Amino acid sequence: MKKKTDVVIIGGGCIGAATAYELAKAGLKDVVLVERDTLSCGATGRCAGGARQQWSEPANVRLAKASIEMFKRFEDEMGRDIGLVNGGYLLCAHTPEEAEHFKKNVKMQRENGVDVRIVDPKEIREITPCINTDGMILGAYCPDDLHVDPFLAVQGWAENAIRLGVDVELHTEVTGFKRKGNRVSAVITNRGDIECKTVVNAAGPWSQDVGRMLGIELGTYPERHQICVTEPVKRMLWPLVVDFYVSIYFRQSAHGSFVFGHSDPNEKPSYNIRGTWRFLEEISKKLTTLMPSLKDICIVRQWAGLYDMSPDAQPILGKVSEDAENFLVAIGYSGHGFMLAPMSGLLMAELIVYGEARTQPIDALSIKRFAGGRKHKEHNVV
Amino acid sequence: MRRITEHPILTFPQGKAMRFSFDGKTMEGREGDTIASALQAAGVRVFRESINLRHPRGFFCAIGRCANCSMVVDGVPNTKVCVTRLREGMAVETQHGRGSVDIRR
Amino acid sequence: MINTEILVVGGGPAGLCAAAEAAEHGAKVMLVDDKDVLGGQLIKQTHMFFGSHLQYAGTRGIDIAKILIENAKKAGVEFAPGATITGIYDDGVVTALNGGKFIKIKPEKIIVATGAYENMLAFPNSDLPGVYGAGAVQTLMNVNGVAPGNRVLMVGAGNIGLIVAYQLLQAGIDVAAVIEVTDKIGGYYVHANKIRRMGVPILTRHTVSRVWGKTSVEGAAVVEVDKNFKPVPGSERNYAVDTICLAVGLTPLTELLWNAGCEMRYVPALGGHVAWHDENSRTSLEKIYVCGDASGIEEASSAMIEGKIAGLNAANALARKTKLTQKTYDERMKDYRAQLGQLRRGPFGEKVRMGTSVLAGEAAALDEPIESLPKDYRSFPKGARVIIECEQNIPCNPCETICPHNAIKVGKDIVNYPTLDPEKCTACALCLTRCPGLSLFVVNREYSPTETEISIPYEMIPLPKKGDAVDALDREGKFVCKGKITRVLTGKKFNRTSIVSIAVEHKYGDVVRHFRASAAAKPEEKIITPADIPDDMDTIICVCEDVTRRQIEEAIDRDRAQSVDEIKRLLRCGMGPCQGKTCQRLIMQILAKKLGRNVAEFSPQTYRGPMKPAPMGVLAKAHDEEKN
Repeated sequence: MKKKTDVVIIGGGCIGAATAYELAKAGLKDVVLVERDTLSCGATGRCAGGARQQWSEPANVRLAKASIEMFKRFEDEMGRDIGLVNGGYLLCAHTPEEAEHFKKNVKMQRENGVDVRIVDPKEIREITPCINTDGMILGAYCPDDLHVDPFLAVQGWAENAIRLGVDVELHTEVTGFKRKGNRVSAVITNRGDIECKTVVNAAGPWSQDVGRMLGIELGTYPERHQICVTEPVKRMLWPLVVDFYVSIYFRQSAHGSFVFGHSDPNEKPSYNIRGTWRFLEEISKKLTTLMPSLKDICIVRQWAGLYDMSPDAQPILGKVSEDAENFLVAIGYSGHGFMLAPMSGLLMAELIVYGEARTQPIDALSIKRFAGGRKHKEHNVV
Repeated sequence: MRRITEHPILTFPQGKAMRFSFDGKTMEGREGDTIASALQAAGVRVFRESINLRHPRGFFCAIGRCANCSMVVDGVPNTKVCVTRLREGMAVETQHGRGSVDIRR
Repeated sequence: MINTEILVVGGGPAGLCAAAEAAEHGAKVMLVDDKDVLGGQLIKQTHMFFGSHLQYAGTRGIDIAKILIENAKKAGVEFAPGATITGIYDDGVVTALNGGKFIKIKPEKIIVATGAYENMLAFPNSDLPGVYGAGAVQTLMNVNGVAPGNRVLMVGAGNIGLIVAYQLLQAGIDVAAVIEVTDKIGGYYVHANKIRRMGVPILTRHTVSRVWGKTSVEGAAVVEVDKNFKPVPGSERNYAVDTICLAVGLTPLTELLWNAGCEMRYVPALGGHVAWHDENSRTSLEKIYVCGDASGIEEASSAMIEGKIAGLNAANALARKTKLTQKTYDERMKDYRAQLGQLRRGPFGEKVRMGTSVLAGEAAALDEPIESLPKDYRSFPKGARVIIECEQNIPCNPCETICPHNAIKVGKDIVNYPTLDPEKCTACALCLTRCPGLSLFVVNREYSPTETEISIPYEMIPLPKKGDAVDALDREGKFVCKGKITRVLTGKKFNRTSIVSIAVEHKYGDVVRHFRASAAAKPEEKIITPADIPDDMDTIICVCEDVTRRQIEEAIDRDRAQSVDEIKRLLRCGMGPCQGKTCQRLIMQILAKKLGRNVAEFSPQTYRGPMKPAPMGVLAKAHDEEKN
């Protein structure tokens, strides 16, 4: 393993892998990505793989839209099929408040160039013939949204980063840092120290642990979300459907299985990734209510993953402390990190290589926003 | 491939005959059969085609865990016929690749 | 929510004994099994069992099942057949799928007796219909009464391979050969002898190289291997068979234990990964006990005792005081330990002795020396006497127990060879019908001036008739001379084994041990044209997801996969309904070979519930009931 490098990236999930790739692509190949287990073993490996542009905060919309364009080009650029289903996303509204919210969002999203429209229940049934629209007032449909296999995407980023000269060190755990003045001078791992010029914290749900190694409180915290998968059947559903009212999201993957999960308002911050039987019952009730024809289809596996939550459900990018000037973060994605990974990688690479993000501004996502006390909370979270 | 009628140690009760259909053809099984044993007794070994390579697959583990025996039974795909008891009038079909969900159900 | 004190998962010999033992001491016990008929593997075992009378030696497995079920019922165990346990959750709730219902149980203690599952062997076209596990063949044959095929190649000469080959012959199905890749027959020689004298060749150092067939198995190629398991060029031989039966070992079924969070250890001598457990059968989790094959692959006789130990200790650990006294506890533990000790003596117990010592973190205790085989055990006595052809130290003594004249001695250590006192033996032949290995014969040298009469334990149909002229066969199933059937004895006291006596010339009296009807010609081996030689790299490894050996090796070579998890993420191996049970071992073997490491270094994937695919409609209904 290298003892000295330019950039150390902590975390072998989608954010770390995308950042490593984009750095190498921009010409900065002296990069070491350290992962304490194997690639995708953290949050990325447990996520549903969805990518949507339908957010309520303009910055998120722009990040997501650009990321989706990058996912569309992924197979050609990376040479790896990532099981892309360009089936769109369908969001469903059940209450007048939700409906108004959707209309407002769609207007803002369209202003930002997103191909999205409001659809009535009849149209919803045309887009997804098997869905039960009882209680739905309207929907927001973006045919341009998509879903992919997260494992294959990370593999694509990592293998191309390696091809371009990046070192990926697995089973390498960061245990601390060395400092010189107000800079981090080296990363301490279980396999030795790595001197470096820049550190990127892409540790997902463990982002706060890494921050605390430097004595920095990042304000992020892990939260369990349960998810499960069925046996495969022939394609019958193209969009990924999100229903905030019921609290469920579901998609039919390229493999043919249904992948679905929800948010549980009773979850407290924790590292718990164990499944519960109540989840199986609840999620089955929710899905069979929305898709009655799936009642004979079997769940084969349940698991859980951790969202790296930030106080306002939006990511935190960039520098976080004057005492560790070269310690950058790309964290706090609150359950939508995967879909923002392509652009996150690019913007972090630009920040490191050029000293500033060029393709899109990231000032609004700086940690400084919490000091002001004002929060623009992202609402479209499930 | 055929029923064992005589055995030095075991006695096999002659269960009541039951009719069912397999890919539209009328077949006969016996009470107490699983769908798999009824098909095997009738000489049917191919229950489905695998999801990607379309290889013929059939009976394998006999305990409902390997899913090799998945067939469409009365319209329900992925039915493990090795642990499903045969009932009179069942409609059993070869599952070609992934099964289809009948969205009208 | 069903509340109970002790939940026993698995209704095989271990589970039934555990449940009965615990209930006997007053515990409230519920026994769950995923089949709707209890008895586990016992209900398919038509042969007589080994061990001592304490474990029902000499009784057929199918009959032992009935006895154990009756014992459990009488003790007051509540049965829940047809319910598959799908998970043991952190809140202490155990979930199960029963037909159309999702059930929740809250037990104080859980005894896991889930048995084992069969190992897969992968070779070109091993996914064709017609390649079956030995257990599946037994179920089809002995439970459903349906023949799996017409002509079978048995892969594996352990006890299961030898026994199932014999059972196939009993069902009238032709067995072309039994092949074994190592240089030794791993099962009891008495089981091997039974099929050998019926003409089934047992080929050691042989393996299947491939099978073929349009839509199901039509033929197989068998090849000899050298001491490095490499095929010997030019040794390939084709067999016209329509069924390949795989009997290549068992792996403990431990998914529930993994999922519950028990500490697991890799112990090859016990069959793979097992939950660490102490000598009271308790795992690292206070409320979970384990027994039977799930705790380490062994015989059913041991499973019964392990079950009793688990049941006794679970009852003893209940919060409330039961009928169990300290005195009873101590006495029973001493007794059960002694029985297990007896069953684990001898060469066949070596693996288990080593495995259990690994778990206990101790050096394996040396087995005490066993008396050697008497020099003249095959001596040819005057008159009619029993000849004992049992040549291995198998813990077993039903011959001693059944003899009404005390003519057979095994002794306190049931692993000793049985010896005959010719003075006491009256050749009543009762022992012939109780020897689980069918290795006792009566030889009567004074049948006639020119003939010796040999009486053979016979479990085949059709039975010959007195006076029939037959071909007399030797221990290898080869024709020796013509013979005549002199007697056919059947009856209830013979335990469904018939005694057939055949008279042959004196000089063949020590050679003839079987016969066949003279009219029966050896089945013509159909001439078959082997198909094109398939590429071994196209062998299917993950059957659920259609993943080939080539894809897995590419993932290792090109994509840097070095673990089961990484291969799973790239290729989906282990994401299918069987959750890796078919492919995990094979993938670990490929990883070990390609990376030059030991199989023990690789962990299987994480086991996640539900352990059986659960229909969403059933789960949704349970949610509605939960709310009301």
